[in-house]
Amino acid sequence: MNQPHHPHQPLAERREGERQMLREFAAMAPHDPGRSPLRDRIITSHMPLVIAMAQRFRDRGEPLDDLIQVGMIGLLNAVDRFDPGRGLEFSTFATPTIIGEIKRHFRDRGGAIRIPRRLQESRVRVNESTEALATSLGRSPTVREVAAHSGLTDDEVLDALESAHAYSALSLDNGGGDGHSFSLSDTLGGDDAEFEQIEVRETVIPLLAALDPRARRIVVMRFYENRSQSEIAQEMGISQMHVSRLLARSLAQMRDTLGADL
Amino acid sequence: MSPAPLIELRVPVDPEAVAIVRTSVASLAARLDFTLDRLEDLRLATNEACALLLGLSNKPGPTLTAVVDSPIPGTLRVDLFRIGTSAALPDRDSFGWTVLHALVDSVAVADSDGEVHLVLTATSGMGHS
Repeated sequence: MNQPHHPHQPLAERREGERQMLREFAAMAPHDPGRSPLRDRIITSHMPLVIAMAQRFRDRGEPLDDLIQVGMIGLLNAVDRFDPGRGLEFSTFATPTIIGEIKRHFRDRGGAIRIPRRLQESRVRVNESTEALATSLGRSPTVREVAAHSGLTDDEVLDALESAHAYSALSLDNGGGDGHSFSLSDTLGGDDAEFEQIEVRETVIPLLAALDPRARRIVVMRFYENRSQSEIAQEMGISQMHVSRLLARSLAQMRDTLGADL
Repeated sequence: MSPAPLIELRVPVDPEAVAIVRTSVASLAARLDFTLDRLEDLRLATNEACALLLGLSNKPGPTLTAVVDSPIPGTLRVDLFRIGTSAALPDRDSFGWTVLHALVDSVAVADSDGEVHLVLTATSGMGHS
C-alpha cells in the first residue's frame, strides 16, 4: 500500500480527498489497471475507522489485532459495494458492515468468550457427569441428577449449560458502545422476519449447504429426522452439550447468512 | 414434588430480555426435572419463538409477555404475547416453524386483543405423561 493517510493534513481536506477517491473508484471499469492501487489507498485511509470500531469490542477477550483483521474484511466488502451516487457518507455505509464482521467473529468463536475459569471448570464437570449418567441411566439425566453427581448446585449446572451456548451473540448487541445504536433487525428479530417469508425449499437448502458438514448433519438429524440431542451426541461421538451448542450456533448462522443475502 | 411455580414476565422487546425469558424457562424446567435433552430443546424453542415474535415489527414494541406454568405434572407450558397479528407471522411451513415443532410437543398460535399469542408445551422426558 503506497500512500497512508497524512495525519497532519486538515480533517476537512482529508475527508474531501477520501470522497474524491471513492467517486473515482466507483466510476472505474472493472478491469481498469488503476483500480487495485486506488482500492488500496482507500482502504488504508479508512483503517482508522476499523481500528475505532475494533476498540469498542476490545474488552471482550479477543486480541485487538484479530478484531482489526476481521473488521478489515468488512471494510473491503464495503469499499466494493459502496455507491457514492446514493448520497450516503462512506463511513455511515461501512460501519454496520465492519461491526457485522466483528460480531460474526465473536459468534464463530462461540461460547469461549469471556467465560470465567470457574464456569469453564463447571462445564467440564457437567459434561463428564452428563455422559456418565446417560450411560448408567439409559436416558438423558435431569439437572438435579447432574448436580448430585458432580457436586455442583442446580444453579451452577444451569449456568454451565447456559454458558455453553452461542447465545452470546445476543448480548454482544448490547455493549457495542456509544453513538451507534443497532436496530432489532440487526439482530434476531429482523433477520428472522425476512428469513421466514421465503419458501423453505428455496432457502433452507442453500443455508444448510453453507454450514460445515458436521453442523449440517446435526441440524438435519435434529430437525428432519427428529433425533434427540443425546442420540446425536452418541452417534457423533461428542457431548450432548456440544450438540446443543452447535445447534444454537447453526441456527444463528443460518439467520445471519440470509440476512446478509437479502 | 412441590406445587409448580408460575412465572409471568413482562420484558422490553430486546435481545437481552429474550435471554431473561430463556433462562427463566430453563430454570423452571430444571425444577420440574426435565431431562437435559428436553430442557435444552425447550430453551432453543423459547429462543426461536421469541425471535418469531420480535420479527413481527422492526419497531421495538413496548413489551413481550411470557407466562410459564406447569398445568400438568411433568409438563411446561410457555405462553408468549406480543402486539401484532398472526397474519404477519411467517408461513407455517417455513423453517422457523419446522424447528419449533421439532423441539417441543406442541405449538399453537392465536390472536387475542390485538396481540399474537404463541403457546409452546413440552414434557420432561421423565415419563409423567
